This record gives sequence, C-alpha cells and structure tokens, in this order.
Amino acid sequence: MAHPLQLGLQDASSPIMEELLYFHDHALMIVFLISSLVLYTISLMLTTKLMHTSTMNAQMVETMWTILPAVILTSIALPSLRILYMTDEINNPLLTIKAMGHQWYWSYEYTDYTDLNFDSYMTPTLDLKPGELRLLEVDNRTVLPMETPVRMLISSEDVLHSWAVPSLGLKTDAIPGRLNQTTLSATRPGLFYGQCSEICGSNHSFMPIVLELIPLKHFETWSTLTS
Amino acid sequence: MLSRAAWSLVLRKGGLGTRGTHSPGGTARSEGKMPPYSNYYAQRSYPMPDEPFCTELTAEQRALKEKEKGSWTQLSHAEKVALYRLQFHQTFAEMNHRSNEWKTVMGCVFFLFGFAALVIWWERIYVFPEKPITLTDEWKAKQLQRILDMKANPVQGLASRWDYEKKQWKK
Repeated sequence: MAHPLQLGLQDASSPIMEELLYFHDHALMIVFLISSLVLYTISLMLTTKLMHTSTMNAQMVETMWTILPAVILTSIALPSLRILYMTDEINNPLLTIKAMGHQWYWSYEYTDYTDLNFDSYMTPTLDLKPGELRLLEVDNRTVLPMETPVRMLISSEDVLHSWAVPSLGLKTDAIPGRLNQTTLSATRPGLFYGQCSEICGSNHSFMPIVLELIPLKHFETWSTLTS
Repeated sequence: MLSRAAWSLVLRKGGLGTRGTHSPGGTARSEGKMPPYSNYYAQRSYPMPDEPFCTELTAEQRALKEKEKGSWTQLSHAEKVALYRLQFHQTFAEMNHRSNEWKTVMGCVFFLFGFAALVIWWERIYVFPEKPITLTDEWKAKQLQRILDMKANPVQGLASRWDYEKKQWKK
C-alpha cells in the first residue's frame, strides 16, 4: 500500500506493473522536458524589454513544432500500445475467481474446485485493530496463490464499480451484465491493497480490496479449510 | 455580418465599430475624432503614432510649426521641447515609468492570506470533527511496524529503506 505523502507509484508486484513503471518514467520524463522547455521560453519572453512587432512568417519553426510533437507522441504511443497488448497475452491461468461489485462491498466466488462464496466489507474505523490501515482493511481478504496466473472475472450486481489493485497494475471496470477479464500474477507474497475506482454511490470510497498472496501450498490448505 | 451591414445602413454612417457608433460627426470626420478624443495611441511597442498629439494649435503653436520647416539648428532648446510636446503626449521615461501598484497588490494578497488563516483557525475550533484514532502517534508507529513486517514496497519504497538485520533505518 502507499505510505503517507507518497508521490510516486507503488513498487511493482507483477510483471505488467514493472512495465508500467518503466513506461511511466518514460512518459513523465517527456512531460518534464516539455514543461521545462516551455517554462524556460516563458521566462525568456517575460524578462526582456525588447519588442518585435513585425513578424510576417516563421516557416521553419512552424515546421519544427509540428513535426517534433508528432515524433514525441509516437514515442509515447508505441510503448503504451506494447504494454496494452502485453496485458492481453495468453498466459494459461490456473485459477478463475469472480469478483462481483455491490453497493458497497465486493464478493468473491471461488468456483473452480470448491463452492466458495464470501463478501468482503470494509472494516469500520472503530473496529480496527491497532496498526491496521484505516479505510483499507476488510473483514475477509481475497486469498490467492502467488506466482501463478489467476484469471479474474469482474462484474457488478448493481451499478458500475471498478476493481483496482495498483501495486499489481490492475484496474478493471465492474459493469452490470458484463464479464470483464483480467489476469493477475504476483511475484511476491503479501497483502496488496486497492480501492473501488468507479463512483458508485455514497460509500464508493469505503469498499476496498485486499489481496492476500500466499504460496501455493498454503493456498491449498486454506482452500480445504474454507470449503 | 449581414445584420451589421444592415445596421450601418440604418445609422447611415460610413464606418462600423466604435468610431461609427460614437462619433456624432458622422462620416465627414471618419479618420479623426473630436477633441478630447483622438487617434493618438502610443505604446512601448508602437512608439511612433500616426497622428500628432495636439491637432488644434494656437497661433503661437502654428508659428512654431512653420519655424520647424526651416533649419532645426535655428530652434532653441525650449522650442524643441515644445514641438516634442505637440507631437507626443509623454516622453519614453514618462510612458514607461514604474508605479507603486505592486505594493497595493501585495498588501491585499497578504491581507487576504491573513484573513483566510483566521477563518481556518475559527473552523478548527468550532467546525472540524475529531481526528480519527489512526492519526495518533501510537497508531502510526504500529502501522509503520505492520507495513515493514509485511515488507510492502521492498524494491524502492518504504521497506527497502529499513535494515531488517540491524532493525533500523538504512543510513
């Protein structure tokens, strides 16, 4: 999860997120370059008493500032599309889990090998144990095996929601009447937090997602315990 | 555009725009305006206006203009200054002079900062609700310990800056 006053993205816990971090650095560097160029030009314009009122044409600079932005945009678009297609690669998930959005909680269905269904409500602030994260903890965490591709099918039972876990680079809209698929593959065990990312009513800010990634052996144990 | 053309026919004035609507003289004086209005506009970026500043000259000033047509070495310094003042409203120095406006502006800005601060102070006393328990130092310490225990963001984030062997922050 993010620490207080954090500015950047969280550390990547999945391969796609690693790619996204690199892409973010690339795009942000371009943004910084353009912004500093513009700021420098503005400062030049504002700090001179000289005046030039007879510009008739400026063909060279107009050509440059048409071609250069096109090149910059291409250099942003190509990595972006590469990652977009990477998210749709075939990766043979070993497990399928359905996450259904409700107002205002998530429910998870593990129906591959068992018949497991549970709701995941946010823990109210008054019920938190000391040291837990306010507005992020839930009563039933979503337990998953780490280092295995997991197919998530996201949908909603009422209004639009969005199932997002930033450290895994996931955000998928939960649309009533539609199944959206995303693949999850975590490189580390641990707890990964996310929050609903589509406005869905008064408690939209209070329906978080917590993924508990554990080694496969322990996941199998948990699975037998809960079925 | 059609409506403006029609309106100009109604007004029966030659020009459109402010000259057309504000000039009571009509098209007879379409280039100039009646005093005290004029077409004299001098700016730092357009320092040589088309028309002189004073267009209605006294007899004395007209005589001076006649003298100007001769050799300029015959003109005294005072006459040159008078001619300058006929042609231009202000010298460059007068036109570009700084003002004390910035002091007023900054004063108002700081005053409003102070007023806003007072309003927020009042709100903190009378309006804001209790802070949640998770913002106390004790809770924040336990929270930080929990985050470090679960090794969140171990690559470049928070947990990467904690030395797990020595149990202290990395130097």
